[in-house]
Amino acid sequence: MGIMDRITERFTSKGAPKQSVTLDEAAVLNALRVVQDPDLHKDIVTLGFVRNVKISVVAGGLEGQHEVSLEVNLTTPACPVKEQLKTQCEEALMALPGVGSTKVTMTASTRGALPLNTGSPVAASLGQVKNIIAVASGKGGVGKSTTAVNLAWSLAKSGSKVGLLDADIYGPSIPLMTHLKDSATAAGTLVDPPQVDGVKIMSVGMFGQGGKATIMRGPMAAAVIKQFLSQVAWGELDYLVIDYPPGTGDIQLTISQTAPVTGAVIVTTPQEVALIDVRKAISMFETLKVPVLGVVETMSHFICDGCDKKHFIFREGGGARVASEHGVAFLGEIPMDQGLVQASDEGKPYVSSHPKSPVARAFASVAGAVASQVSILHAENKNVLQHFSLDWVH
Amino acid sequence: MENIRVQDITQLDPKTLGILWTDGKKSALDVVLLRRKCPCAACIDEWSHEPRLKPEDVKDTVRPVKIESVGLYALTIHFNDGHRTGIYTFKYLRELAPLLN
Repeated sequence: MGIMDRITERFTSKGAPKQSVTLDEAAVLNALRVVQDPDLHKDIVTLGFVRNVKISVVAGGLEGQHEVSLEVNLTTPACPVKEQLKTQCEEALMALPGVGSTKVTMTASTRGALPLNTGSPVAASLGQVKNIIAVASGKGGVGKSTTAVNLAWSLAKSGSKVGLLDADIYGPSIPLMTHLKDSATAAGTLVDPPQVDGVKIMSVGMFGQGGKATIMRGPMAAAVIKQFLSQVAWGELDYLVIDYPPGTGDIQLTISQTAPVTGAVIVTTPQEVALIDVRKAISMFETLKVPVLGVVETMSHFICDGCDKKHFIFREGGGARVASEHGVAFLGEIPMDQGLVQASDEGKPYVSSHPKSPVARAFASVAGAVASQVSILHAENKNVLQHFSLDWVH
Repeated sequence: MENIRVQDITQLDPKTLGILWTDGKKSALDVVLLRRKCPCAACIDEWSHEPRLKPEDVKDTVRPVKIESVGLYALTIHFNDGHRTGIYTFKYLRELAPLLN
């Protein structure tokens, strides 16, 4: 049922004649109850999104016509249905008698988990980070870092405060992909991350000797990762995107045990041989009770410049299939694009260098889907104690 | 057990840990039993899964010093006998405890 049908139903089925409604805040809120958040499955008034309702007489306007202005405060600035919700609000308000014009402002305060216990070893570093998003994959070479960079940039473009941590200790690629030139500076006992386009970045690659391999056994690598999680001054962030190394080993375990990871995004290419490992990655996160936010499929297809036909080089629909097998969301598919590869190699995040391209739009849509899943998760997990520390009293 | 997690954690008395789960159920766990049932590789053989720790190795006077969460799936207990390597998954804790309600 469309929004207009719902409005009509509201005013006709209950037998309330239109003219008997007085235009006040209660009437405005009542009218807005037809606008549903499609992710949280509740109306925006019940969710407490509507703020600052003002009803005023417009100077020089028609007799008896008012302007209604209000603010709709969403759970994330990356909300994919922001415009749709705005239009629905305007339509619902205009249907009220006495309303001549509307001014609906869309704002957002990103919801996050409960604040960290001050006893937590990562409190100084991650205490003001609202959400930590793990970008992981079962196998390497599926475009995980490309996805992490473009996800971070898309979230930042929508107005969120974003950080990006490259935890791929053996193959850090974020410095190259973001053209990171600045190094980290000391800030007391912590390290201040440099910024590119407003995104705070920290990478294991910033500390090694360029071109030389990081040769470390598991426990050593885990200790390095722990330092990265506990000694970086991230400050206040809406989202911290962590680019995981591929696979299901020591580092993945250490990050998930040390940091309060909100959820994981699994990246895969469509073919079966990649999906086998995706199932393992999902199962690892399930064991660690890190919610899987969904699956992103990369290298989904190639559009040939000669015939505009989609070529499904690595077979079709694998990502969506594995997502539905595990009951998690399919967050979107990213087509193959030579420009994306080139931009990554040149250190230009594609969503900012080619914002109108199909690939950039696909990443923006993935970012919106991720932000929605995070909001849904917070709505479901209101009562979960995320990180705790209890001193025993003798 | 799929998505059941901890809603609150408290010390009920000098030797009992209380957990309120997100499904509303409550567990009361004896801390000495927790020490004897430690799932770490030093206490349970990694390959054979045979217990290596004998119940009599643990004194009745053992108590936690601190209890901390491990990621979103488990907790760890620092005991006053110096042992702190056990990672008790929420699943394991639910199995160990007689549910109170």
